[in-house]
Amino acid sequence: MFKAQKHSISRKLTWMNMLVSGAALLLACAAFIAFDMITFRQAMLRNLSTQAQIIGSNSISALLFNDPQSAENTLLALKAAPNILSAQVYLTDGRPFASYSRDRDRHRTVLPPIPSRQTETHWVEDDQIALVRLIVLDGKPIGAVYIRSDLQELRGRLQRYAIIAAIVLSACLLAALLISSIFRRAVAEPIVNLSKIAKVVSRDKNYSVRATSIRSPAELAILIDAFNEMLTQIQQSEKALRKAHDELEQRVQERTAELEAAKKEVEEFSHSILLAKEEVERGSRFKDQFLSTMSHELRTPLNAVLGFSDLLADERYGPLNDRQQRYVAHIHTGGKHLLKLISDILDLSKIEAGRMELAREDVTVASAFSEVISALYPLAEKKSQALLQQVEPNLQVHADAMRFKQVLMNLAGNAIKFTPESGRIELLAHQVDDQVRVEVRDNGPGIPAEQQQRIFEAFFRLTETGSATEGTGLGLAITSRLVELHGSKLGIESRPSEGACFYFSLPLIASTPNQTIQTSTPVPRARNAPRILIIEDNAATGQLIQSQLASSGYETLRCDKPERARDMAAELQPDAVTLDLLMQPVHGLEVLLQLKNDPRTSKIPVIVVTIVDQPGVGTALGADEYLIKPVDKATLLAAVERCLRSRGGAAPARTILVVEDDVSTLEMIVELLKGYGYAVSTAADGEQARVSVAQSLPELVILDLVLPKMSGFELLAEWRSNPRTADLSVFVLTSKDLTKEEDKYLRAHAESLFRKQNAWREPLIKQLERVVTSPSLENA
Amino acid sequence: MHRPNETFGRQPNVQRHLCARARRGFLQFLTFIIALVFFTATGLLAQQAKPSEYQVKAAYLYNFGRFIKWPAGIAASKGDSFPVCVLGRDPFGPILDSTLAGEALEGKPVVIRRIAKEQDAADCRILFVSSTEENHLKEILAAIDQAGVLTVSDIPGFSRRGGMIQFVVEGDRIRFEINLATAESAKLVLSSELLKVAAAVRRNTRSGD
Repeated sequence: MFKAQKHSISRKLTWMNMLVSGAALLLACAAFIAFDMITFRQAMLRNLSTQAQIIGSNSISALLFNDPQSAENTLLALKAAPNILSAQVYLTDGRPFASYSRDRDRHRTVLPPIPSRQTETHWVEDDQIALVRLIVLDGKPIGAVYIRSDLQELRGRLQRYAIIAAIVLSACLLAALLISSIFRRAVAEPIVNLSKIAKVVSRDKNYSVRATSIRSPAELAILIDAFNEMLTQIQQSEKALRKAHDELEQRVQERTAELEAAKKEVEEFSHSILLAKEEVERGSRFKDQFLSTMSHELRTPLNAVLGFSDLLADERYGPLNDRQQRYVAHIHTGGKHLLKLISDILDLSKIEAGRMELAREDVTVASAFSEVISALYPLAEKKSQALLQQVEPNLQVHADAMRFKQVLMNLAGNAIKFTPESGRIELLAHQVDDQVRVEVRDNGPGIPAEQQQRIFEAFFRLTETGSATEGTGLGLAITSRLVELHGSKLGIESRPSEGACFYFSLPLIASTPNQTIQTSTPVPRARNAPRILIIEDNAATGQLIQSQLASSGYETLRCDKPERARDMAAELQPDAVTLDLLMQPVHGLEVLLQLKNDPRTSKIPVIVVTIVDQPGVGTALGADEYLIKPVDKATLLAAVERCLRSRGGAAPARTILVVEDDVSTLEMIVELLKGYGYAVSTAADGEQARVSVAQSLPELVILDLVLPKMSGFELLAEWRSNPRTADLSVFVLTSKDLTKEEDKYLRAHAESLFRKQNAWREPLIKQLERVVTSPSLENA
Repeated sequence: MHRPNETFGRQPNVQRHLCARARRGFLQFLTFIIALVFFTATGLLAQQAKPSEYQVKAAYLYNFGRFIKWPAGIAASKGDSFPVCVLGRDPFGPILDSTLAGEALEGKPVVIRRIAKEQDAADCRILFVSSTEENHLKEILAAIDQAGVLTVSDIPGFSRRGGMIQFVVEGDRIRFEINLATAESAKLVLSSELLKVAAAVRRNTRSGD
C-alpha cells in the first residue's frame, strides 16, 4: 500500500508531464503540418498554374499555326516535373490539340468549363489535382491547357512530416520523462517522505521523528515545516501529559496512602466508638433493668398493702370499729397515692430517657372516649358532675391506644378533680382540616394565665385548690409528654372562673363515611370486652345507649344505617345487638328478620329497644329481649348480661387457676376471687402451673409474667401451641413494664391484661363476670 | 463546412444525402450544360466553315505580324496603319478582307492594299507576293530590300530565292518555311515561337543559289 502510494504520486507526476508535453507537441505538430500542407498545396497549385501558363504561352504559335508537334514538344518539357501525370492542349472547339502523359496511359478528360471572366479553374479528384487554363491571345481564347498532377509529393511530404513528428514527439517525451524525474525528486520525494513519516508517527506513536526540510517548492516546504512543528508540539504536549500523568499517579499513591492512614484512624476511632457504644448500651441496659426492677419490686409490696387493706375494709373477717375503718382507709389511700406516684415517676423517667415506645394503631376516638367515660363515671357521679362526650362519628387517629386513653384519663380526671360539684366535664373530638382536635373541657374555676405556662412542669400544683393530697403533680407533665410523643402539643385555653379547655390535635386517618363505626383493622377476638352493636338511626338515642353500655365496660359499636346492619353484624360478629324498630328506610323488624335468617348472624342475640309496645311480635320474629323505651341503665345492662350469659352456655363451673409467685399477692387474689364466689386453685411458679393445667383444664388462668422456673410468656406460648389449651382463657396480671413486642404478643395471645400499678381489682372482677359463668349466681 | 448541431438532429440523414446528391447532381448538370454550349458553339463554327487554303493563309498573314518585331524607325516611318499588301493577282479575294477586318497589329489598324508594282510595296509591312509575280521576283525583292517589309509567298522556292516566309502544304496542313537570314538582314526580328512552328528555317542567305 505504501509502495503503491509512492508509485501513485510519482507516476502521476510523470504521466502529467508526459501528457501535457505530448499533447502540446502533438497539437503544435498537427497545426504546423496542417499549415504546411495548406501552404504546400497552394504552392503546388500555383506551380501548376504557372506551368499551365508557360505551356499556354509556348503553345500560342503552335495553335496559331496549327502545329501540334510543336505543342507536344512544349508539353514534353513537363517530363522534368514527375508529379505531372498528364497534360493536354485543347482547341477552342474542345478538340485535343496536343497531349502528354507521364505513364503513357492517356485518359482523355472532358474539359471542364471555365467560368466566364476567369482564365483558370482547378479541382481535386482521386488524389489528383487538375487545372485548366485558357490560352488567351489579344483577349481572345485560342485554346486551353489542361494539367493533371498527382499529390504524391504532398503525401510524401506528409509522411516525412509524420516521421519527423514521431521522432520529435518521442524525443520530447523522453526529455519530459527526464525532467519529470527531476520534478519527482523535487516534489514527489518530499511528499512520499512526509507520508512515510506520518505513517511512522501514526503507527508507532513516535513523535520524535522529523520530516527532512526542503527549500522548494515553497508550499511543500511550509507543509513539511508545519508538520514538523506539529510533531514538536505533540511531542511536547505528550511529554507534558505523561509528566502530568506520572504526577497524578504519584499524587494518587500519596492520597491512597493518606486515605489508608485516615481509614486506619477512622477504624480505630470507630472501634473506640463501638466500645463506648457498648459501654453506653450496657449502662442503658442497666438503667432499663433498674427501672423494670424498681417497678416490680416497689409495686409488689404496695399491691399487698392495698389489697389487704381493701379486704379489711370489706369487713369480711369481722366488723371494724370506726377508728379501724378510718385507719384502713388511710392505709388504702396512702398506698394508692404511693402506687400512682411510683407509676408516674417511672413513666416520666421513661419518657425523659426516650425509652417510651408507642405501639401505634388505628384508634377509634369514640370508643376511646366511651372507655374513659365508663372508667371515670363513678368519680364524676360522686361529685354529681355531668360527664359528657361529643364526638363526630368515624374519627380515627393513629396512636398508642393505651397512651391515648391515659392522656384522656388524666385530663378528664384532672377536670373532675378541679371542677366543683354539679359541674360539667365534656370530651369533644371533631375534624379540623385533616386533623382530629381532641378537647377536654370543664366549667370549673379555670387556670390563671400566669400559671398556664408552668402547669405542665413536673410536681407543679395549682396552689388555690388546696387539695394537696390528691394527685402526684406528675399527671399533666406526663400527659403533655405523651401528647408530644404522638407528634402534637398539648394546649390550654382558660379564663379564671370560666373553666378550662385542654386540647391537642392528631392527624386524621382517612376512612370512608360508609365505614361508620367499623374499625379498620378487625380487632382479633380478644375476649376482654363483649362487643355490642347498637342499631339505631337516631343519634341521640344511640349515644345514650352507647354511653350506658360503654360505662359498664362493653365495647360498643353503632350502626345508624339499618340497611347495612346485617352486613356490619356479619362482619363485626358482636356478642349482642340492640335494635330499634322505628327506623328509616328499613324497619327494625325487617332488620331482625335479616339477622335471624342469615347464618352468619343468626346466633347473635338481639335486644329490641323500642317505643313500640309489641313484645309478642318481636319475640316471635326471634328477638331475644324486648325492651320498651324509656329504658333505664339497669334494665338495659341486665338484659345484655342475660343475653351474653345465655350465649356463653351453662357450662359446669371450673376453677380459676391463679399463678403468682409472691405469696402475699397470691393470697390477696385468692381472697378476692373467693369473695366473689369463684373456685380457685393456685400455682407458685411456672412449673406448678404447667402441671396443674396438664392435669385438669381450668376455667381461666390469672397469670403473672415474672415467675420462677418458667416465665408467664413461656407458659402462654406452650399453652397456645397445644390444641387442648389453645382456647384457654388467660388474664395476665403483672407489674412488669412491658416492651412494645411483649405488649403486642400478649394482646394476641391473652384475653385480658391488667397492670398491678393501675387499679386492677374492679376491672378484673368485671371481666371475670363476663367471661366466666359466675358461680356466685348459681350458688346464690 | 458543418451545419450547426441542432439541425443535424432534426434533419434525417436520408434527406441530407438527398440534398447533397441533388446539389452535386445540379452542379454536374450545370457543368454538362455549359460544356455542351461551349463545344456545340465551337463545333458548329467548325462545321460551318471548314477553312479553305487561303482562309488559313490569310490568318497566317495576320498571325505572322504578331511574332515579328519591326525596327522602331521603320515602324514609325510607315504611318499610322499596318498595311498588308498583296502584289499581283489576289488569290484571297474577299476572304482576306473578312479575315483581317477590324484587326490591329502593334496597336495600328490593319489595312489591306492590293498593289501591282513593286515600287508600292516599300510602305507595306507585310507583302504577299502572288504566284503571278514569280517571274520578276528578283526585282520585287530588290525593291523592298532594306525597307523592312516581311515578304510572304506561296511561290515554290520563294524562301530559297530571297523571300522571307514561304507557305508549304504538308498533307492537309499548311505550313511555312522561314529564311531567317533575309529577315535579319531586313532588320526584322522573328520570334522564336514563330521559328518553332516553322516547317524549316534557313539561316544562310542564299543557300539555294
